Amino acid sequence: MRATAVGLAAISLVALCAGAAPASAQATQITMWSNWPDEPAKKDWVTARVKDFEAANNKCSVKLSFIPKADLYTQAKSAVRTGQAPDIFYMEPDQPEFLAGGFLEPLDGYVDLNQYEDWSKPAWTSKGKVYGLPVEAYTVELYYNKDAVKKVGIDVPASFQLTQDQFTDLVKKGVAAGITPVAQGVGDRPFPGGLLLFESLLRKLGTEEYGKLLDGKLSFKDPRVVEVMTWMKTLVDAGAYPKSFSTLKLGESHFYFYNTPGALTFPDPSWFTGRAFAPPEGGGMPANFSLGIMQFPAMDKGTCPECKTLAVAGSFVMYAKSKNKDCSGALMKSMATVENGTKWMEQVSLQTGLKSDPAKINSPRKDYFAELNARNKDVKYFFGTPLLYYRAKCAETYTQVMNNAFPAGLLSVQDAAEKMDAACFKS
Amino acid sequence: MTTTSMSSDASGGAANASSLADPRRASWWVLAIFLFPALAVYVGLTAYPAFRTFYDSFFTIEGLDATFVGLDNYRALMSDETFWVSVRNTFIWSFVAPVLDVATGLLLALALYAGVPFARFLRVAWFTPVLLSYVVVAILWTWIYNYDWGVVNLVLRALGLDALVTSWLGNPNTALAALIVTHAWKWAGFNMVVCLAAIHSLPSEVLEASELDNCGWGAKLRYVIVPMLRPTLLNLYILAFIGKMKIFDLVWIMTQGGPLWATETVSTYVYKRAFNWNTFDLGYPSAIASVWFVVVCGAVIILNRLLATRERLEY
Repeated sequence: MRATAVGLAAISLVALCAGAAPASAQATQITMWSNWPDEPAKKDWVTARVKDFEAANNKCSVKLSFIPKADLYTQAKSAVRTGQAPDIFYMEPDQPEFLAGGFLEPLDGYVDLNQYEDWSKPAWTSKGKVYGLPVEAYTVELYYNKDAVKKVGIDVPASFQLTQDQFTDLVKKGVAAGITPVAQGVGDRPFPGGLLLFESLLRKLGTEEYGKLLDGKLSFKDPRVVEVMTWMKTLVDAGAYPKSFSTLKLGESHFYFYNTPGALTFPDPSWFTGRAFAPPEGGGMPANFSLGIMQFPAMDKGTCPECKTLAVAGSFVMYAKSKNKDCSGALMKSMATVENGTKWMEQVSLQTGLKSDPAKINSPRKDYFAELNARNKDVKYFFGTPLLYYRAKCAETYTQVMNNAFPAGLLSVQDAAEKMDAACFKS
Repeated sequence: MTTTSMSSDASGGAANASSLADPRRASWWVLAIFLFPALAVYVGLTAYPAFRTFYDSFFTIEGLDATFVGLDNYRALMSDETFWVSVRNTFIWSFVAPVLDVATGLLLALALYAGVPFARFLRVAWFTPVLLSYVVVAILWTWIYNYDWGVVNLVLRALGLDALVTSWLGNPNTALAALIVTHAWKWAGFNMVVCLAAIHSLPSEVLEASELDNCGWGAKLRYVIVPMLRPTLLNLYILAFIGKMKIFDLVWIMTQGGPLWATETVSTYVYKRAFNWNTFDLGYPSAIASVWFVVVCGAVIILNRLLATRERLEY
């Protein structure tokens, strides 16, 4: 009798456990790796999207991690090979090997592609399918300190575009006044040192010829390219860049521009806001800083002074071997909406590859947006930065030569052009 | 019947004799059980990856597809300019820097042995960098070398030597040397401790005899202490040499091989080819790693032969 009672109790317990199990087992956990651990606005946007998704989907939960970009790429490269990659991870279009290797899942069947801006789709399109969710987009801008530029005696014209000579004058006057003309550092990034030169080349050559240069179909010894590089060399020799250029990190160069020691201009993608609009005590821009945006200088006899680089950066992709594609796809779908695009613009003060509704953007940075929009009115966009085009040895040479050695004054125009041609020119 | 019984007795006797001869000797089964964990770890984490690296070097691996290319990766390596620059830098670092490391360690040890003031404090202070991670050391020295406010340039400016002020890590002529000094700073404490232990273990009668012979400090150092420390110094040199042939962390954090590949080492180049080359191909980086494995082994053997003491010191 006693044995029967014990048996019944055990069976009841098992039944209870079995009854309780489905509720917790139903929630499928997906993993997601995001960049931006040190950019509060972007981090908050991603976290909010994940929380919104979890609140609306009790069958899916998300294990979200924020990892610095370089570490994330390295870990992802190992993880995709071994089948251990997260279901969703951060990626930029300049890492085409993931797509080429077949590690990414097309998103066509999961997200509404009508929610993408038309210009952002090509960045992630391959063989007719779209592989990324283009959250972050940017234009390459030339920020400047209005007060300091005025103080050294440079009047920025109504077009907000200096000529080649005027920009040279700005550099010389800045040096004479003891203010660094161009805040830039390449200590931890492979691209910033090339911003001023390549934006100038774009304006000199126009989109078609500039595209050829980046595709390796135009030599760096082309007279027009040499002319711009020679002008660039005069700026470098005049002391345009900080002496600590080679070791100054990207975050430090922001601080260098708007805080200590201060500089006249700062060429930077428009994601500048991620750091600059952080609270001043967290390394952000002081409230009274007189920030302005001017166009990169117009080149003498330039084909396209109104040209500008537009690019897609931070995006999210789905792992092709994900075992939880339903939940992953649902999360991606929930992120790709006009409403979320608007929230991104509002919170991050940066362009997005998702559609947005400007009328609904309620940002304390309205003035900044107005100026950014004004500088992007009637411009002709070229899509993609050099590192979106350059690969392998060519990309490494760009990093060492155009990003670092040439703007640091370590190489002559001829040497730099020869090294770039040797690595990139497909004669 | 008798024969069988005899042979059985004989084998049993032999086994008994064997176990009687060395009763501490364990059976093969026991040995295997104890060896297995260590062997499994060695095979899984050292032997197999090494073999697999060598194997992969004969393939081009794109995504999940591997294509056999024979010796193509090795042929490409021979004409790879960046590889040869990285080899040159690594050799400079590996042959020159250990001299600096060991000499600094020896000097510090001698200072402590000679009884400098605050010896206890200095021993701890000099050893502390060994305990720091490469990340901390790299960041610290990046600050020290900073052009604007780094202590090196501040001192030079204070001394009126403005002409010598430079971007130490941004100048191809000084970047490698700057990294070598940083590395020597980190490891000097380790060499100091080993040298100090070796000095203390030197036979006191030899040192006392030299003092009785009116041998001054310099002569004692040159003719007595250093020769007797030679095996220790040689081992330190070879250890440092092997470490520097594989140097990666410090370079990656401080310069990433720049400027203009002036600090590129073989390890940083392997890493770039494996993870920063817009490709998943591990074949080419595996070829570099395989070649370098052979070079390191060969160099250590040659160094051992060249530097080994032929006459054994007896004291």
